[in-house]
Amino acid sequence: MSLSKIRGLVLVVAAAGFSLLTGCAQVKLAPPSASIENVQLAKSSGMGPVAVEPFVPAAGVPKSVDQALSIRSNTFFSPYDSSFSKYLQEALSVELRAAGLLESKSGTVIGGQLTKSAVEAGASQGTATLGARFKVSRGGNILYDRELVENDGWESSFVGAIAIPAAVNHYTALYRRLVERLLKDEAFRAAVKP
Amino acid sequence: MSIEFTVSLRRRWTRVLGVAAMGLAAMVMAGCASHYIDGATKEVNASTFKKPAAPAPVQVLFEFETKGVSNTRATDALKKQVVEQVRTSGLFSATDEKPAASGALLGIKLNNVPMSDDAFSKGFATGLTFGLAGSQVSDGYICTVNYVAPGKEPVVKVVRHAIHTTLGAAATPGNSTKAKDINEAVNTMVRQIVGNALNDLSHDPAFN
Repeated sequence: MSLSKIRGLVLVVAAAGFSLLTGCAQVKLAPPSASIENVQLAKSSGMGPVAVEPFVPAAGVPKSVDQALSIRSNTFFSPYDSSFSKYLQEALSVELRAAGLLESKSGTVIGGQLTKSAVEAGASQGTATLGARFKVSRGGNILYDRELVENDGWESSFVGAIAIPAAVNHYTALYRRLVERLLKDEAFRAAVKP
Repeated sequence: MSIEFTVSLRRRWTRVLGVAAMGLAAMVMAGCASHYIDGATKEVNASTFKKPAAPAPVQVLFEFETKGVSNTRATDALKKQVVEQVRTSGLFSATDEKPAASGALLGIKLNNVPMSDDAFSKGFATGLTFGLAGSQVSDGYICTVNYVAPGKEPVVKVVRHAIHTTLGAAATPGNSTKAKDINEAVNTMVRQIVGNALNDLSHDPAFN
């Protein structure tokens, strides 16, 4: 085999190995699931059945924030129309459904607007933020209107294989924490009382 | 430097790089890790469970965590196996992810933590192999089963397990069984840890 052919083969194999090691993937997040804590929280809140209307990005939030997240050259997106607003809508719905409190024909309606969605997986520190403005209405009257924000910080890693999954887990966990914050909010509880 | 020597040096480097790159690619593609299921947590068959006289329906919620943080991808991958194990346990008349008519709720949480973590070792002393020497890594798992029936105190059971992974020609971890691959290791670990937790639950007078 000539030297140039060997060099070509080396480059191809090296490139294959490199691409396998680094990856530049487009990854769909796994669907949210109900948590024991939030289901029990919802059940014990005294709230009546509610409907959840489609969540949307808040005014002024760039479309790109709602559509995708980039973590070290890997792009993550929501399984629901590539929209993190809809991911939050489903994160809330799945908890209410498991608690037996989701009723599409209910007169009490929860709406939401995504205000913040960000994640950073630095070499030593990771951070994530998720925020939304939640509204509760009944018969055209707004009973609750408040922005809630959840933040997280964790020890990250220089190694992408460790840092990227950790960042994804911490970011997606914020959805559950934001729902938990909503369910614990006394003003929200008062608004969704039957 | 002569032309002949330069060409020879280039060939040698090309060969070295070629072998290194192919080795790297092969290692990444084939994997060179071996997985072992710790032997301290034994297999428990459903026949060992103490069946209630009148089994009730239950709502089952499963959640996988990594270091205490919910891991939606792993939850999604393992949920079917865990719910099926509860369904065939004989402890409940029906299982569903939706609310049960009885109002009973069975929460199963599986937390993957480093075995060196306090969360894993605190107040805990069994025969699990704490092997962290050389090229061996051990993953600890804590399964918490929480059964809540209306008007009753919750019944909580906790079981621990471990998967050991070795790289290259490392020594076999003691008291463990080698798995065919990582999927078999995880599926076996989940079946054993959930089986033990359900067995403990079934023998608790507060459950029956």
